[in-house]
Amino acid sequence: MADPFTYGRRGISGRFEDAERELLRGLFRDVVALLEPDDAPDEDPLAALVGISPDAAEPEDPALKRLLPNVSTDDDEASREFRRFTERSLRESKAGALRAAALGLESRDMLLDEAAAAHWATALTDVRLVLAERLGIHTEEDAERIHEVTDWSDVEDDDVDAYLALVYNFVTWLQTTLVDAMMTAFRTRTSDGKDAGDGPQGED
Amino acid sequence: MSLSVATEPSPGLTEQTTSATDTANVVPWSLVVWNDPVNLMSYVSYVFQTYFGYSETKAEALMMQVHTEGRSIVSRGAKETVERQAIAMHNFGLWATVERAGEYG
Repeated sequence: MADPFTYGRRGISGRFEDAERELLRGLFRDVVALLEPDDAPDEDPLAALVGISPDAAEPEDPALKRLLPNVSTDDDEASREFRRFTERSLRESKAGALRAAALGLESRDMLLDEAAAAHWATALTDVRLVLAERLGIHTEEDAERIHEVTDWSDVEDDDVDAYLALVYNFVTWLQTTLVDAMMTAFRTRTSDGKDAGDGPQGED
Repeated sequence: MSLSVATEPSPGLTEQTTSATDTANVVPWSLVVWNDPVNLMSYVSYVFQTYFGYSETKAEALMMQVHTEGRSIVSRGAKETVERQAIAMHNFGLWATVERAGEYG
């Protein structure tokens, strides 16, 4: 099977089958829905405008908590304070990346510029974090166990976990090829930069 | 024009800013990145190289420390700086926390 993401002369390109695009759109949509804040109707509009969520609390859903983690391990008040001032924009930024990636799926062949690739990388990461939480991947051993589920023909129709595991492995594969392509693009950019830069050449 | 008044900070404000910076230098904060079994090692290394501008060698070393020891201090600085970096890490999907330098060495 050809790599879904590849780096070439024109940049990073991505290509998916129709069924894969449909699957990814659904995953992106689900994570966007998870990230949407449950706005209280009596919310202070000024606080909303400047991006503060006065009542922000640690999410109860472990998957959402993984996307919006605490910033301190031992200072709950510091974590709450940080959350009040940053959580809303983090939610919006993540949802924005997921929406941008979903929009890119409108065409079968994608050519990703640097910003689009970054959106895809965070979108796929967030999908994997949510699926991993649903699959109970908490240790390296869990991850290996899930990684072994690779054959669609092994999955019974009603085996939701096995289906999720296959989806997780598929998204992991996408992420692997995307990060490889981004790394190559980054190396190419930085080595070009060195050639064109104001190095010591000519200054004996 | 009255607008020009706002361009000059009051002497008191300048002093306050300076002393806050000094304090931050004396008591720096650390940005800690934690291991998780989900994020790809290549992705973590990519984030360290592109966001912090670390060399591939340094990025790989920090990533391996996260992977084998469970956590790594990837940056030190004023509280505001490491908090901004923590937001960036959360946006990348990495779990990062801030702590006073020296808490865990």
